[in-house]
Amino acid sequence: MQTFLDILLSGILLGGIYSLVSIGLNLIFGVVRIVNFAQGELVMLAMYATYFCFAKFGIGPYYAVFLVAPLMFGLGLVVQRLILQPLQNEPMMQIFATFGLLILFENAVLAITRGEGYSLAGSYSRAVIDIFGLKASLSRVIVFLAATAIAAALMLFLQRTMAGKAIRAVIQDRQSARLMGINVARTYLLTFALGCALAGVAGALLAPIYTLSPYIGGNFILAAFAVVVLGGLGSVPGAYLGGLAVGLMESFAGYYVDPALKQAIWFIIFVAVLVLRPSGLMGQAGAEEVGLREQS
Amino acid sequence: MRAPTPNETARPPRSLGAALAQVAGLLVLSAVPLALTWSNPYWVNILATAYLFAALAAAWNIIGGFGGQFSLGHGVFFAIGAYTVARLYLDLGLTPWLGVFPAAALATAVALLISWPTFRLRGPFFAIATMAINEACAALANYSDRITGGPRGILVPFRAGLANMIFIERWKYAALMFGFMSVVVLTTVWLRRARLGHYLMAVRADEDAAAAAGIDVLKAKLQGMALSAFLTGIGGGLFAMYTRVLDPPSLFALPDIGVKFALIALIGGIGTIIGPVVGALLIVPLENFLRGAIGGDVPGGHLIVLGAVLVIAALFLKRGVVGAVMAAARRFGGAR
Repeated sequence: MQTFLDILLSGILLGGIYSLVSIGLNLIFGVVRIVNFAQGELVMLAMYATYFCFAKFGIGPYYAVFLVAPLMFGLGLVVQRLILQPLQNEPMMQIFATFGLLILFENAVLAITRGEGYSLAGSYSRAVIDIFGLKASLSRVIVFLAATAIAAALMLFLQRTMAGKAIRAVIQDRQSARLMGINVARTYLLTFALGCALAGVAGALLAPIYTLSPYIGGNFILAAFAVVVLGGLGSVPGAYLGGLAVGLMESFAGYYVDPALKQAIWFIIFVAVLVLRPSGLMGQAGAEEVGLREQS
Repeated sequence: MRAPTPNETARPPRSLGAALAQVAGLLVLSAVPLALTWSNPYWVNILATAYLFAALAAAWNIIGGFGGQFSLGHGVFFAIGAYTVARLYLDLGLTPWLGVFPAAALATAVALLISWPTFRLRGPFFAIATMAINEACAALANYSDRITGGPRGILVPFRAGLANMIFIERWKYAALMFGFMSVVVLTTVWLRRARLGHYLMAVRADEDAAAAAGIDVLKAKLQGMALSAFLTGIGGGLFAMYTRVLDPPSLFALPDIGVKFALIALIGGIGTIIGPVVGALLIVPLENFLRGAIGGDVPGGHLIVLGAVLVIAALFLKRGVVGAVMAAARRFGGAR
């Protein structure tokens, strides 16, 4: 029983990590309809920025997040405006462009760091807290709480504010939204930058947990895509719960089946969801086709 | 997907003779560097790789370019081809010349199996799903020690001989890859004029309209994927005997294999017959040059350039080098 609870807890905490990474991706995916293959690399960049803040200025990761997130917001504005906006109606070229960014970011960091692995580990990752008798790493608990808070805040933002309502309108039908006087291009710009800022938050909070490497984005991106497909296009609660589900599945499969096969579990999730319900568990049915039909 | 411009699909079909003459000219032209450098192992290796990747990009182009189905999972078919040829050769002593056929058949079978559910998805969703399948298969290949040798991989011992498809002289590899490239390019010449080719291009232009016009969309996509995967499987088999080292990280690496096929097709010109050849003859030598020039001083330096090329090509070179040259030629011709 103790083991079971341990696996459950580690699965939930891992799920928190996936949720945190996926929320930004899903927002971009759902609204701008761009498959941002470079999202994992944005998280990676933010992790390095956080490390840099700590190493150069002694700013701890939980303060650095307030610096890194706005920086990533700015990067998002630039990328969306210069690269992705001109490719708005060409999904194939978007894939090339974001994949090019992935290769570019990854190797730029590799070139700068010369492949040296950095680690913020130390006081931040060693702290352990007790949750009903179970031991949990404090930094992972913080990630889980942050993911929960961000998901809730984002839902409030989307439900209650005018900008959020505009974003939801664009998710549902960009043409009608335009007719209602919503500036679709600006909504895209804002959403993409917001998604990048969320990658920044994720990177700052994950920096104490992982040893930094230029390729670390690859660890997140596939799980994040699985979460997006599972949770549903553009759905914030879908991304949050989907992240928890994937974390739990990976954790249990890693213990009860074989740690080496945990990635194959994603594949099974993928195919099952794709076959049964391509729009995801909490997405709008048909959403996976609407955007593309409109674009073609 | 992107709606093709009128002159992309509605171009009146040339006579078969003219198309074949054009392709023959292209093939002769692409053989010239080999004829010039056949005794220089450095250049011959680059050319062998370029020919092989030209063939693989042309095979990807069948479903990715003509069919508009943006697969990032072709590394799977490539790896299946490579592992099958290597295993048949090592365990049963089957010559790779015959081994490529069961390998390609297996790659086709797997392609059909994973395409059937994923072809329900369109555009970017299809790309994500195929990329996920690529990663999952990489994990499986790492796991199944007995077939793939796990993370350590398979080493094919060097036993030179025509029957083993292992040569001491490097130019023989280049000649072999050139022959394979010719086969794939001629296949696309046929496809471009065949019913299936027209179906695939109709599906790319508008899937719903194609279905409304009476095309069995799923069947056309599956046939295109089968042909594409078959050729990719053969390419994987040739790759296996060429490098003789097979490990999951290099076979399933997206920037080096799965996405490379698409990248080469993009640089050359997606959905054209000669685009993949042009793209490979540009990109592979460029990459080698950059790796030699800056890869040593700046780790990953050549990939920084490659990533930038990818972004720039997506922004400014959507129809590839072939498309840009044709547009320039038209403008020049029109001005006269």
